[in-house]
Amino acid sequence: MPMKKTWLKWAVLGTPALIAAGCTTYPDQATTRQVAETMVSEDFSAPMPALLKRLVQDRSQQICSKIGDAKLTQEEAAEVVKLARASIQYPESGKLVGDWKAGDELAHDGAGDRIQFGSLEKRKGNGGLCQNCHALAPGEINVGNVGPSLTGYGMQRGSSEAVAKLTYERIFNAWGFAPCSNMPRLGANRHLTPEQVSHLVAYLIDPQSPINMK
Amino acid sequence: MHTTRGWLAAVATVGCALTWGAALSQGRPDDPLAVGRQMLADDNPGELWIERGKTLFYQKRGPRNASLNECDFGAGPGRLEGAATGLPRYFPDTDRVQDLESRLLTCMVELQGFKREELVKTAISPAGSNGSDAEALALYITSRSNGMKMNVSLSHRKEHDMYKSGEYLFYRRSGQTDFACVQCHGEANKRIRLQDLVHMTSKKGVQEVVSTWPAYRGSHFVVRTMQWRLSDCFWQMRLPELKYASDTSIALTTYLHYQGNGAVIKVPGFKR
Repeated sequence: MPMKKTWLKWAVLGTPALIAAGCTTYPDQATTRQVAETMVSEDFSAPMPALLKRLVQDRSQQICSKIGDAKLTQEEAAEVVKLARASIQYPESGKLVGDWKAGDELAHDGAGDRIQFGSLEKRKGNGGLCQNCHALAPGEINVGNVGPSLTGYGMQRGSSEAVAKLTYERIFNAWGFAPCSNMPRLGANRHLTPEQVSHLVAYLIDPQSPINMK
Repeated sequence: MHTTRGWLAAVATVGCALTWGAALSQGRPDDPLAVGRQMLADDNPGELWIERGKTLFYQKRGPRNASLNECDFGAGPGRLEGAATGLPRYFPDTDRVQDLESRLLTCMVELQGFKREELVKTAISPAGSNGSDAEALALYITSRSNGMKMNVSLSHRKEHDMYKSGEYLFYRRSGQTDFACVQCHGEANKRIRLQDLVHMTSKKGVQEVVSTWPAYRGSHFVVRTMQWRLSDCFWQMRLPELKYASDTSIALTTYLHYQGNGAVIKVPGFKR
């Protein structure tokens, strides 16, 4: 069976590879992409077929998957920013600053929507994942450092309407400000709801929030 | 044996926690968890799996009542010495590039007559269990390369293509977290919460990866393999489940192992 599968794969997709191999020693980028994308389409399973769509890249993800030290061109960065800006949605209530206590909980919640042993982790809502990568309230030890520290976020910036809006949009889709940064587009990807994002905004900027305590 | 293992694991866990606490209170700027790992390196519960893997390898098993003695991991039938240093590699009989675990599957199916689907189902064991045959075998076979240097070749075209696919996949972002491997493993001294992330785009970091799997995972009380490591990453990335021994997993392993060439194999590793 592996023989047959391999044969099929090469018959369908290997033609450009063979041509490339004939001309040059190594596969060109387009061929590698085609071969690897076929792998991705065949090598994962999910309890519901719809979940396999998670593997499909959107335009921004394609642009943001530079190999090695390859840099974004100005045009690519501009396209990612444009797509990100267009993706932003606000809560129906129009309230960008929610409940900081709910936000505190969300910021420390790293669960939700994972797939294992043939089932989807279903909860009321997904965690905000913040703690995984960001320093939060002063004195918290169990925090990551992949992203910048958020300790004192509101103390440094205040809690004006402009700060709230900027904060909301940065969480909803960080790529509108830092195209292709490591930060997930939490709102745009539907990992969090607009209301959940508003709670995180409150957690970050409310003067009463632990993140703004000395 | 089970009791011994449980006891060892308990000592390991407590020892690790104590060391970590002590290191932290001293305000060490370097990786405090490394101290605990170092302490455990000579007393790794995973050692117990090696003997079990050896027994499984030479025992006559399966519907064909055969041992794995004729299995060729690239150094010749039954020759395990140094075989893991060259994996993944191209195998003419399957016409595929295979890593250790997919090759092991081939042998267990072809030589012993086991059903592939059954093997795949149980290959990655539940946490806290006695572990799977595949895990013990993978550790035993890799341990026969202990003290030897990784030396993966890309001389066959399919090996090179697999490497290029692995590189592409390492940087391929998808899903609701927008993560590729490189988002967490592209910089030095990074952590997810308190867990150190290996810096895989550095030679030193990637060498640490390729020379320490299979490893005893303290929090799971079992030996884990590279196939598990990859599938667990995809789980956290919120992606669908990576199929065991799939080309995607072999491509990523080929990419990492080739980058790590020169690393001296020392298994079982010990992970938190």
